[in-house]
Amino acid sequence: MRAKRWVRYTKGLLKEIGIEPERLEMFNMSSSMATAFAEAVEEMTRRAKELGPSPLKRKKEAA
Amino acid sequence: MPIPFAEALRTKEFVVTAEIGPPKGVDIDEMLHHIDLLKDKVDALNVTDNQSSVMRIGSLPVCKLIKEAGGEPILQMTCRDRNRLALQSELLGAYVLGIRNVLALTGDYITVGDHPEAKPVFDIDSVLLVKLIKQLEQGRDFAGNELKGAPKFCVGAIVTPEADPIEPQLLKFEKKIKAGAEFIQTQAIYDLDNFKKFMRYARKFNVKILAGIVLLASAGMARFMNANVPGIFVPQPLIDELASAPKGKALEKGIEIAGRMIKQIREEKICDGVHIMAIGREHLVPEILSAAGM
Amino acid sequence: MIVGQRKPFDEIKSYVDGCQRILVLGCGTCVAVCMAGGEKEVQILASQLRIAFKEEGKDVQVDEETILRQCDREYFDTLKDRVDKYDVVISMACGAGVQLAAELFPHRVVVPALNTTFIGIAEKEGVWSEKCRACSNCLLAETGGICPITICPKGLVNGPCGGTNHGKCEVDKNKDCAWTLIYRRLEGQGRLEKIREIHPPKNYKVQTTPATIWHAAYREEEA
Repeated sequence: MRAKRWVRYTKGLLKEIGIEPERLEMFNMSSSMATAFAEAVEEMTRRAKELGPSPLKRKKEAA
Repeated sequence: MPIPFAEALRTKEFVVTAEIGPPKGVDIDEMLHHIDLLKDKVDALNVTDNQSSVMRIGSLPVCKLIKEAGGEPILQMTCRDRNRLALQSELLGAYVLGIRNVLALTGDYITVGDHPEAKPVFDIDSVLLVKLIKQLEQGRDFAGNELKGAPKFCVGAIVTPEADPIEPQLLKFEKKIKAGAEFIQTQAIYDLDNFKKFMRYARKFNVKILAGIVLLASAGMARFMNANVPGIFVPQPLIDELASAPKGKALEKGIEIAGRMIKQIREEKICDGVHIMAIGREHLVPEILSAAGM
Repeated sequence: MIVGQRKPFDEIKSYVDGCQRILVLGCGTCVAVCMAGGEKEVQILASQLRIAFKEEGKDVQVDEETILRQCDREYFDTLKDRVDKYDVVISMACGAGVQLAAELFPHRVVVPALNTTFIGIAEKEGVWSEKCRACSNCLLAETGGICPITICPKGLVNGPCGGTNHGKCEVDKNKDCAWTLIYRRLEGQGRLEKIREIHPPKNYKVQTTPATIWHAAYREEEA
């Protein structure tokens, strides 16, 4: 519960400075849940691809 | 010339007052019409003070207009917008303009109105405002300094008989009487059995009680007040009665209900009079009175 | 304690736009406890600023420091020599701390990162509520330990207004009516006589602004 609160809060901090909050996520699972872990990794990879390079990198490239 | 309200309270078996809400803006034609229509039908006209914390023409100038029109005004004064200096100087000013009756209220909070960012004052409260007026009458201001000429007012305050819980409300009611209130006007009442219970208690005190009568315009208004207005309770049978009125006739039903309640209060001598609040429908007060057989 | 709340990031950033060297200065006492301006919050704000400036392609130095109390001169001693390095100090203290920082560093711009909200208590983790208005005239002995100046929005001292409803406040239906609470508590203690008498008007003279207090042991004339 506590971690969930703070992840939500941190998403807000990211949003304040113009970074997509979707770049951060929390997944609940135990160490034996290999499929769930793989799915979470895939989800985050998909998100990263969809969002593209981080706004920080983009700026650097442009400069 | 109307008889002074203090005298009406003393001598009449049943007094009637009505409320005048000043307009927001300087077009006062409609209000003057209402004053003209009501001034001879009621014992006094009670002028609200930035009612519901919505900025309008002040109570004092409208009281003066009522005076000029030949009516008997009651100056409502809240503690929301003025500190003790402003309250006192306005009271002295009211007196020299011929205004002799004051109703002391705490006032709604600022944020319920149309200037929610303004500073709420509440330097003193309604109990202390009654006390302050009494002190002016003794020739002393609230700080104890001597006045050059003392005013004399007929002072009223309010009570909410349907408040929940009622005990803290009654504690304050007793303080208002102790401070010197001569009459007490109630928040709108609809349940007369409950009100009779309150009156059995209130009769112990040497104070005149005027029952608050708010005109119900529809079943929806009654339900809205039950849900949103603290201290107002419209019993279900009255709501059903309004709802059962034919389309477009709910207001007529409301007038009938108000008239019926006033008649019962008067005939059974439940209290000393009524204060009618038609809230924007002041022109209907004569109809309410005739429905009450007055 | 003093409870504060951090200002929105955009507002804080607007104070420091164009600066090259920024010191984010935390306060380790009240505002640290209410998670608004302590060491951890300094780290968060400084990180946010660094990332935001980097996004804009700006090279800005953002340093962090937290002292035990910004309302006490002695704790600033360690900073005195370093502060000249910065264009601006973002103080994460309450309004008192910000002002002392500004007084001690008169040649540096000092800006606030918090809105100071009230004197209050911790209700539970992450929740604080206002309890005291610092009116200089405590009447809690008469009101069953419940402050009507603070808990009643109108600060009424003679009982509830007509807006109280089912024990709640007309201003906010989620908040308790102070006078219903006071009545119930004194009733339970058999001490209702405490509030039956008319309470005198509030004395604003004792709230002279700004106030200065001398401890009885430290006499003014010896200063």
